[in-house]
Amino acid sequence: MLEPLTTSLEKVFGFHDFRTGQQAALTALEAGQDTLAVLPTGAGKTLIYQLYGYRHPGCVLIISPLLSLMNDQVNRMHMAGFRQAAAINSLTSYVERQEIQRHLRDYQFLFMSPEMLAQPQMLAQVKQLPLSLLVIDEAHCIVQWGPDFRPEYLLLGAIRTQLNHPLTLMLTATAGTTTRQEIAKQLRSQPTIVAESVDRPNIYLDVEQLDTEPAKQERLTALVDQLQGPGVIYFSSKQQASDTALRLQQQTGRRVAAYHAGLSSEDRFKIQQQFMASQLDVICATSAFGMGIDKNDVRYVIHYHLPADFESYAQEIGRAGRDGLPSVAILLYVSGDEQLPLMLGQLNRPEADTIHRYYARPQAFNEDDAAIALLGFYRRHGISEAAVIQLFSRRERERNRALAQMLAYVREPHCLRHNWLQAFDEQSRPHDEQCCSPAGMPLDLMRLGLRATPQKAPTDVAEDWVARLRQLF
Amino acid sequence: METADLLALLDGQQFRRLRVIENLLREKKTVSTLYWGQRYRLLYLMGLAKKLPRGALDAPARALEQQGLVVAGETADQIKLTPAGLTAQRNVNYYRSQTAKDWGQVNLMAIRERILLAVQVVSQYAHSTKRYYPLATALETRQAVRRWFYQVKGPNLSEQMFTSLQNSLIQLPEPVAEVVTRLFSGYQQPGQTAAQLAQDRQCTSWEILLMQLDGVMQIAQDAQKQSQPLTKLLQPMWQSPVSRSAQQTLAAVGQGRSLEQIVAVRGIKASTVREHLLEAAILLPIKDFPYDEILTPTIRQTFATALTGPIDDWQYTALPEAVQARYAFFYFRLYAIWTDKRGEQDA
Repeated sequence: MLEPLTTSLEKVFGFHDFRTGQQAALTALEAGQDTLAVLPTGAGKTLIYQLYGYRHPGCVLIISPLLSLMNDQVNRMHMAGFRQAAAINSLTSYVERQEIQRHLRDYQFLFMSPEMLAQPQMLAQVKQLPLSLLVIDEAHCIVQWGPDFRPEYLLLGAIRTQLNHPLTLMLTATAGTTTRQEIAKQLRSQPTIVAESVDRPNIYLDVEQLDTEPAKQERLTALVDQLQGPGVIYFSSKQQASDTALRLQQQTGRRVAAYHAGLSSEDRFKIQQQFMASQLDVICATSAFGMGIDKNDVRYVIHYHLPADFESYAQEIGRAGRDGLPSVAILLYVSGDEQLPLMLGQLNRPEADTIHRYYARPQAFNEDDAAIALLGFYRRHGISEAAVIQLFSRRERERNRALAQMLAYVREPHCLRHNWLQAFDEQSRPHDEQCCSPAGMPLDLMRLGLRATPQKAPTDVAEDWVARLRQLF
Repeated sequence: METADLLALLDGQQFRRLRVIENLLREKKTVSTLYWGQRYRLLYLMGLAKKLPRGALDAPARALEQQGLVVAGETADQIKLTPAGLTAQRNVNYYRSQTAKDWGQVNLMAIRERILLAVQVVSQYAHSTKRYYPLATALETRQAVRRWFYQVKGPNLSEQMFTSLQNSLIQLPEPVAEVVTRLFSGYQQPGQTAAQLAQDRQCTSWEILLMQLDGVMQIAQDAQKQSQPLTKLLQPMWQSPVSRSAQQTLAAVGQGRSLEQIVAVRGIKASTVREHLLEAAILLPIKDFPYDEILTPTIRQTFATALTGPIDDWQYTALPEAVQARYAFFYFRLYAIWTDKRGEQDA
């Protein structure tokens, strides 16, 4: 007889109570039911499989699409006291992969990218493992169509069958009814659904429409100047994140740094840790930033570019106000901003004509091109030309629909929260002055208590290097 | 790499190929890259930026060209400084590494990683923290540091680390010691990034790296000279610059075997044997390579007559046909290396 869940929770994490959703998900899993947990960012999704892994022998296999962040996840496992954890993905060096594969059976938690698991040799090895739980992290990636899209996610249903339908936990922060159905269908499972509202009542929503790009930049500077930090500003481009970080630092005197996948892992580590240690006021980030950041007091999240869909938007604004205190999510928009996500989406989407020519003579194409690589993937998995064309046009329709939804949000005249929650098939509470300010309505930072109090310039004690070294040891 | 960094790597006389510099940084060790790396005196760049994207130097090169600081040679890939470029290079206060000449003797970037992780681990240990995010490093580094830590940990470890690091860094110019310590991560010190330090100091991130590597080299050399906590961790990182396989070929030559015999005994292609020998000749001091066994007096005499003028202008295909028929490109290249090294010795 297993000990009660709360006893395990207390033993492993020292907590007395579960957060909402955790217990329901664990109870369903303990009853042997596949579970789709739709829990907002910060709800502690990781704890669900950590605790399950603690209570049951065998290996917890976690499939995650976030290559660059997988090592962070392993580090978080180590932090939580789970030593037997490793990650394998395309960024793992050959030597390291060999080493991990040799000891595959010793791991209690294995993180793998979908493309790695899809390799026949790896799949054969994984089949030999006593799996206690299969976790599909960021399960919405199965349906989301964007730069993060992993065609391999579409194979997960077949892989699950090959693994003999292990108990499966699907995790996502955001999924409306359609997305939930699609996830279940793709994974060939009828999961118990544990869902919590995506709403974060302590995050005030704001949309601001600006006339020109320079006006938008100017507004951003003013906001960073006025807002109580710490804050995160999201961009769609690495270059713009870096450039803006530099500019904001010079113009506002705040401590600002950029964070994106183009940085070395050492720099990403340092920026994250500086932010956690409150040595930075503002991070200019791309979507690479977020995971592994357990910073509760983020007061604002600004979107400089239009996100491609509500799912990403909800994830990203969810970094604000985890401590439950008033926070704000601001979306800056200039007419035409929707062109950027449209363009980014089209980069990976081949034309029908290209698809036709590719299927006629695949060897004539170079798979260095992302779109061609995607076609190659489908062809190798026996998907016909007609089906691929259909797939792409469906994807494009979905993308356009998602983007149209974002635009409707930007143009929403009455209640942003209502508009947002509707997209997730949720009802909102009645609109009031703590709720939101659509475009055209003023953002009163003073009333929200988010206006920066005049602060003394950060005192950088001019220590010499010996004193600095002394402090380390 | 920014324009200032590229500017520092160029010369007013010699056209230098961007692709060679790029390949050095990315550690593409072909004989051609090594040879030209030696000719440019830039071999110390080997492997310093393994993840540098292809063509990453093109933009800085174009910028220098637009400023009139460099001109292109026969191909756009070859550039040299204009008189204005030379002046700019002399005037700019660019950091010059003090220890670069020794970098080939160690696996420098791996040492760097080991030191950074060791400092973090010992710092957290000194403050009795067990749970923290370790720096993301190669698995090999993590394992080595873990093994090392269990060997050396004890009540005196952090004090010993402090003392030995201080002793190493104090030998360096103050700004270098400052940069090296600011880049360290440890207890309640996330550490600064190279870009942040570069911004503070009004220099490039690459200069910050060069400073850090001088510090790393100093620490490694001191650990080698005298036993201290880091000695065990860094000792295995001292290595011959020559690959193991090339060392074996070289040893066979030392045993008096001919090239043909080596091909037969080692079961490798003749072209591989020649590549091994050229690699060794380029990377080793002149006294450590058996030039006398391979470049006979006749060969030297023949080339000395046929090849005059600056080494960089020599061309195998411009040699008299009889010489080409008699001596393969290998001998021509080896003769150039020998001449270059003798010149270096005299200088």
